[in-house]
Amino acid sequence: MAKIELIGITKKFGKITALDNIDLEIRDKEFFVLFGPAGAGKTTILNTIAGIQIPDKGDVKINGEVANQVDPQHRDMAMVFENYALYPHLKVYDNIASPLRSPMHKKDEAFIKEAVESVAALLRIDKLLERLPSQLSNGQRQRVALGRALVRRPKAYLMDEPLAHLDAKLRNMMRSELKEIQSNFESTSIYVTHDFMEAMSLGDRIAIINKGSIVQIGTSDEVYYLPCNEFVAQLMGDPEINMLSCRLDKKDGAYEAALWEFACVCTVPKDKELYERLDACGAKDLHIGIRPQNIKYRFDPAEDYSVGTVNSFEAIGNKSVLVVKLGAAEVRIIVPNDLQVKLDQEVYVKLDMERALFFDAATTEYICRYDEASFRAHAAGQAGKE
Amino acid sequence: MRSKKRLLAICQNGLLAVYSVFALFPLIWMVLLTFKSDAQMFDTAFVFTPTLENYKAVLLRTDYLRYFCDSVIVSFGAVLISILAGVPAAYALARYDFKKKENVAFQILSFKFAPEILVVLPLFMIYQKIGLYDTYLGLIWVYQLITMPLLIWVVRGYFEDISVEIEHAAQVDGYFWWQIFLKTLVPLIKPGLVSSALLAFIFAWNSFTFPLQLAGIKVEPVTVAALKYLASDTVHYGQMAVAATISALPAIIFALLIQKHLVRGLSFGAVKG
Amino acid sequence: MIPVVPKKKVGDADNINAPPLSARIRPYLIVAPALIITIGIMIPFAMAIYYSLTSYSFRLPDYSFVGLRNWIRMFQAPEFWRAVWVTLRYASFSTGIEMLLGLGIALLLGNLNNRFSRIMRVALIFPLMVAPVIATIIWQLMLNSSVGIVEKFLNVFGVYNFPWAASHSTAMMTAVMIDVWVNCPFIIVLILAGLQSLPKSPFESAKIDGGSAWFNFRKLTLPMLKPYIYIALLFRLMAALQEFSIIFALTKGGPGDTLMNISITAYNTGFQFNKFGASLPYILFLWVVIYILAKQIAQRWQAAQRQASGKSIDERGEAG
Repeated sequence: MAKIELIGITKKFGKITALDNIDLEIRDKEFFVLFGPAGAGKTTILNTIAGIQIPDKGDVKINGEVANQVDPQHRDMAMVFENYALYPHLKVYDNIASPLRSPMHKKDEAFIKEAVESVAALLRIDKLLERLPSQLSNGQRQRVALGRALVRRPKAYLMDEPLAHLDAKLRNMMRSELKEIQSNFESTSIYVTHDFMEAMSLGDRIAIINKGSIVQIGTSDEVYYLPCNEFVAQLMGDPEINMLSCRLDKKDGAYEAALWEFACVCTVPKDKELYERLDACGAKDLHIGIRPQNIKYRFDPAEDYSVGTVNSFEAIGNKSVLVVKLGAAEVRIIVPNDLQVKLDQEVYVKLDMERALFFDAATTEYICRYDEASFRAHAAGQAGKE
Repeated sequence: MRSKKRLLAICQNGLLAVYSVFALFPLIWMVLLTFKSDAQMFDTAFVFTPTLENYKAVLLRTDYLRYFCDSVIVSFGAVLISILAGVPAAYALARYDFKKKENVAFQILSFKFAPEILVVLPLFMIYQKIGLYDTYLGLIWVYQLITMPLLIWVVRGYFEDISVEIEHAAQVDGYFWWQIFLKTLVPLIKPGLVSSALLAFIFAWNSFTFPLQLAGIKVEPVTVAALKYLASDTVHYGQMAVAATISALPAIIFALLIQKHLVRGLSFGAVKG
Repeated sequence: MIPVVPKKKVGDADNINAPPLSARIRPYLIVAPALIITIGIMIPFAMAIYYSLTSYSFRLPDYSFVGLRNWIRMFQAPEFWRAVWVTLRYASFSTGIEMLLGLGIALLLGNLNNRFSRIMRVALIFPLMVAPVIATIIWQLMLNSSVGIVEKFLNVFGVYNFPWAASHSTAMMTAVMIDVWVNCPFIIVLILAGLQSLPKSPFESAKIDGGSAWFNFRKLTLPMLKPYIYIALLFRLMAALQEFSIIFALTKGGPGDTLMNISITAYNTGFQFNKFGASLPYILFLWVVIYILAKQIAQRWQAAQRQASGKSIDERGEAG
């Protein structure tokens, strides 16, 4: 139960700037996700909130009070470490019980027994309570680390890739369990991951971090449909979004995009806001981002469809990816699993411009998309549910 | 091809055997000597009638047990002080990054290489002036030159082996730094600490130069006492052998106990065996 | 992720992120007991330098400051140069033989894997555990012309009353032999640990490439053993240069001045002849030499270590 704010946090390790002027506001009872590539600074942010590291500049506020000088013992948080940090000389039971035996949160043994056993049952490690960490697999160790955090009701849960080493089935199960626990406990959670699907499904809001700076903060819909730049657009989505270059021209009051990689001129659908933004931006060289599910395809020619050849066909679970060589570009399209294709077969594709994202090629910043207004409204509604 | 390999194996085992004889025979023979009576000392080599007379003579009729106790007190005391002061220092060197850290660390190590006589000459004078000459405390203090560098450097390595995240986890759990130190860190370094302590004990036990000049009458460890035996007028070789055997025994027993950590201890943590 | 102790900067009074005083001085507090104890031992060093510039003697009631007279006299004294010569001979013989012999035995122990070698890996440590004084006593008993087993052994070959430590020509060899007996296991243990820590893959690929055992040894094993060799050399050489116990227990420096190395000479000058002030330059000189030499070898060891670990970074992969 805590509102956590990071204001202007900067942290350097020697010459390396790990965090550069980070501003974050995590609301009470929110499930907040920190998402970004390896080395972005996510763990450092977590350590700063926990009090393990003191920032060089900036303030950490917990429930409105500046907490920079408060040591970790007094911050009333629970943390799941990426490398588990289990006590090697203690049994699993004692590892999980450890926070409840500390001077700050001391409870009697009966209480501890119940708490530990229920958490262990939840995480499916109740049969392992007598073992030592060295006798566990990675996945089991990770669950013990989770258990050690979940056994308490702290102000906030800080979790650093807690599901990274679990197999897919367990991970899916744990994901929903975690979300349920969090809403039941009504606690604030800060969750670090580099798996975008996890980020999208778990986070009330997601902060995308890269090289020590925050790139974008928003709900899962916001960062997916309204990414603030190409980096975010490419980060969210599997398979990755297709980026094509084009040149914008105004003809008879309508924008037309002439694609570079293959011969095609697509009309930019008319939308007041979209056109206003394009006018304001003034850039002529743009990047168009099209998600793999927003490309129409057929195997016989049709109007407005461009021709290309099949480069590869990959099944990735419950869907498949068709990679089409289109002029100088390779375009990824999501197709059903049972699609029959042959290599180098001719295929005709059409970009759904109503779902395209427009980026300024020079700055890679997001300009607009068709009917952005309804996406914003939808995202606001999503955020409003919190 | 096979016979060449066999020849090689025989040669290798043979060479090893030759060295083993060189290394171990003196010890074996010394033990044999302890059971030889004075009468049979000169004439016989390996075949003789064993007797416990020498042991009785040394243990019951001389002050040898007193010397043995002196060694125990001084060595144990030295190691204890080194542990109490050295373990925290080892922790600081392992975890904190303060100015001149490596300088301090190398300084502590350099004590090991300092010539013993260099310490003995001035200390002989200083100790007499401040009343530490021929005292347990005096020897315990000077023995720190032997035991402290070893303990600090080796235990530092063991601390560095513990991931610092474990300390962070304990902090977040709600423990304070002295509890983390005692309840989490010390148990984890215990095997390393014990073996370094035993090795330090052995080195302190074997010290000769310091007690030779800085003690001698009231406090006399076995190393100094044993040499005095040799210098006496009537040399009872069997008793000499007993003195030597008893002096060497504790060290050898301890060495068997700490085999696993021996390399780390001997190289002052430079080599992780 | 070692917590760096931040330095307090000017204007930090208002900086909310400056750590409290208690946290900043904590590392120094923790190291303090150890430092206090060792400073207590540093005092003799400082005093040694001071008294080396005096004519202090244990017999005479007062002394005077004589400046560098003791030092100059030392460098002019033939005893000093004799002592230096003896020290160098003793240290190089004993360390050299120990390193070569230790390396050889370690290789044997590393190659063989039968019961005998496994037992020997443990048993061969014993001589190292015996105090050098006691070791000298044991050897004197063994070499004794009346009761010594070695004497009896040599008698079989018609050699009687071999002088061992009593003669000018054989005293050094006897002392070196005892030193080797005690300290060779140190080298063996270290090199063996090094051998057991060598990665297997270079050797496997060398096997495929073909190449004699000697070649593999020179080009693969030896370079990778360098850190261990340097550490062993560092410890043994520094100790051998200032060896006191063995020589003292053997002959106290004799016969004549055959075994009068710097330590023994300083001891005699100070305690036998009571020329305290004059004895100190000897041992201070030795200390300076040892300190410089130790730093040199330590630097080479660190370089060898870096090189050895540098080779295996690709095996370990990049740090996350």
